[in-house]
Amino acid sequence: MIPIDLSMKQVNKVSSHELVQMAFLTALLEASKLAMASIPNVEPVTLLLILYTLYFGWYTLLIAAAYILLETLIWGLNIWVLMYMYIWPILIALVMQIRSSDSVWTYALLAAAFGLFFGAMCSLVYLFIAGPVGALSWWITGIPFDILHSISNFFMVVFLLKPLRHLFDRTLKNNAR
Amino acid sequence: MKYKKTMIGFAAILVCIAVFVGIYQFTRPKTMAGSKKYTVTVVDSKGEQTSYKASTDQKYLLGALKELDKNSDFSIAGKNETYGFFITTVNGKKVNYDKHKTYWAIYVNGKYGQNGCESQPVTDGDSYRLVYETSK
Repeated sequence: MIPIDLSMKQVNKVSSHELVQMAFLTALLEASKLAMASIPNVEPVTLLLILYTLYFGWYTLLIAAAYILLETLIWGLNIWVLMYMYIWPILIALVMQIRSSDSVWTYALLAAAFGLFFGAMCSLVYLFIAGPVGALSWWITGIPFDILHSISNFFMVVFLLKPLRHLFDRTLKNNAR
Repeated sequence: MKYKKTMIGFAAILVCIAVFVGIYQFTRPKTMAGSKKYTVTVVDSKGEQTSYKASTDQKYLLGALKELDKNSDFSIAGKNETYGFFITTVNGKKVNYDKHKTYWAIYVNGKYGQNGCESQPVTDGDSYRLVYETSK
């Protein structure tokens, strides 16, 4: 059950109410990422972006953009900024394709696949920097981390998506105009 | 039907993981047993070079460098980070990636290393360069 389908609404502009909500959710995204930064490739970003997309639809791209900007301000401009610029929109686009599904397993499998192919997708940038061999080598070196990423994404969505949706259902419904 | 689709998805993920593990195992650098001769050249921030020739039974570069630290005037220090051993000091020259974006780069036989020093295998005749570099 999706209480607010902002992507489907008639109004094209984002209201100030939604803008504040999205700003808060961006801060939550960054804070939770930083809180889990010490564990390599275990991150809450995939889970939260899936969750946000279920509520904000394509507007989640704005949250992702603000998140990338925040990350750049904290860590500086680097190659991963380029990767983030297409990686997170890909996730949002994929969630948009399956957002009619109510099954937590569907999202868990998407999160697992996303984590597993995270390195492969990121290595596309290295195609232009280091060529095909460099990109392939970069991806293969990171395979153990991709597997860890995949497993952690899977369990995070399995255990947390439902309670978080519950929370969002209550909170966003109460705040909705 | 839904259950079947989920199971197929789950199986597909497991198959992908198995394939990825296979690729990783098949392509990972192979170690060599026994004694190996190698050369380490340290290039500091001013471009000054110091070379060391040694032999080791260690399988990985980190072990060989620690051994060299004990047996010569070469010195190395670092810290274990989440992604592996990060070299912080070589021959007393310290890098500070957080403040100045400086780091010790590892070159293996003239090419920029693809592995950390704890996972870089030592093979007979290898030539390593530890170069003080600044990230751009």
